[in-house]
Amino acid sequence: MLIKSYTQEIASRQEFEMIKITDKVREAVADSGIKNGVVFVISMHTTTAIMINENLPCVEKDIEMTLERLIPTDYPYVHTHMLPSYGTCSGNAPGHLKSMLCGNHCVLPVTDGKMAGGKAQDIYFVEFDGLKIRKYTIQIMGE
Amino acid sequence: MVIDMHVHPVLFGPICTDSKRLEFRKQAFGLYKSSPIPMEQVIAVMDHAGVDKAVILAEDYSAVMGEPAVSNEEIRLIMDTVPERFIGFASVDPRNDNAVSELERAFRTLNLCGLKLNLSHLQMSPDDKRLEPLFKLCEKENKPVMFHSGFSWEPDSPSKYGRPILYEDIAVQYPTLHFCLAHLGWPWVDELSMLLLKYPNVYTDTATVFMDSPKNYYEQIFMKNMAPGWLQNNLMDKVMYGSNLPRFRQVRTKDGLMKLGLRQDVLEKLLGGNAKVFLGMEVRDYAY
Repeated sequence: MLIKSYTQEIASRQEFEMIKITDKVREAVADSGIKNGVVFVISMHTTTAIMINENLPCVEKDIEMTLERLIPTDYPYVHTHMLPSYGTCSGNAPGHLKSMLCGNHCVLPVTDGKMAGGKAQDIYFVEFDGLKIRKYTIQIMGE
Repeated sequence: MVIDMHVHPVLFGPICTDSKRLEFRKQAFGLYKSSPIPMEQVIAVMDHAGVDKAVILAEDYSAVMGEPAVSNEEIRLIMDTVPERFIGFASVDPRNDNAVSELERAFRTLNLCGLKLNLSHLQMSPDDKRLEPLFKLCEKENKPVMFHSGFSWEPDSPSKYGRPILYEDIAVQYPTLHFCLAHLGWPWVDELSMLLLKYPNVYTDTATVFMDSPKNYYEQIFMKNMAPGWLQNNLMDKVMYGSNLPRFRQVRTKDGLMKLGLRQDVLEKLLGGNAKVFLGMEVRDYAY
């Protein structure tokens, strides 16, 4: 079995942002030379998500509004204090909780050297705690 | 215009190219796990928060540490990348023999706009004689001073040197020297309020969210520790917006102030009007 990894850097420009990364994943799969297997896309952070959904502004807005309704920005969260190991204030509990709900990765099959997602499926890197420089890994496993 | 009076550019990309220097600086500031931020990101963060200009602060404890944590040249370098967005404050270590000449150079050659001193980190009392020539130079050059005040997160920095009442003599002896006792002097907010009320040359900034969310923290300070009328009717010309970036986010601290429900005229002074006067960009045509 072969394993190939690609780490990508991304700069979010909003506090909440859904950044489509489908093409980056497709490119990595093609570059890997792996014909049959699976591709994982994994965020390296705790206030972001990797999400599969449909690339429609109305769907994106519903996702944003639903998450905000479930996890409002203003709420008496516990995670609002100085973090001496960072030297900065936490105050990003909503980002952590949204990340928990949405998950840090997705998996899709690789068939005949191509990512085999459904037609409506796009892959998003989702920022819940921008603006930040972020990283995610694309890992392809197979033969 | 929104002016953030209190930004530590410790992790700004242009001054983080040397990994040894970056590590030294992170240790000095206690920013252990934080990473450098490219300039495009710094500007994007300011734009997102609606901050037009930021005062970036040098930090010099070189008599003990061997080199400044953020040098005056590094402040100039950052300013030169996007001049319209930054106002640079110099720092010198008063324990160095060349402190006065270095400050003169920072003002006259590097065109920095004020002096930053953290007497807690320097472990120096405000009445230390080594500070006098620096105050005289600032007064002569019409440059304001930003003092760290109150509680300090930085390592080896006793908060007792930041107690507001210790700065009263400076207000008396240098009546034309404008100085800011940063961080609302927390936890000595009452002492600070007395100085703000009494001395026209004393200011403060809001770079002070040490617990809780900015919204709750500012509500506690400005609406409970102080009565609601203190800021709006008494200290409205003396408090300036400061985020303390990177310790706290500009967008959150500004939002916390905006949610206090202040009168619009007070909010405008708080977010930029008072900073303009403090920095000498504008002169008040009234006195109470």
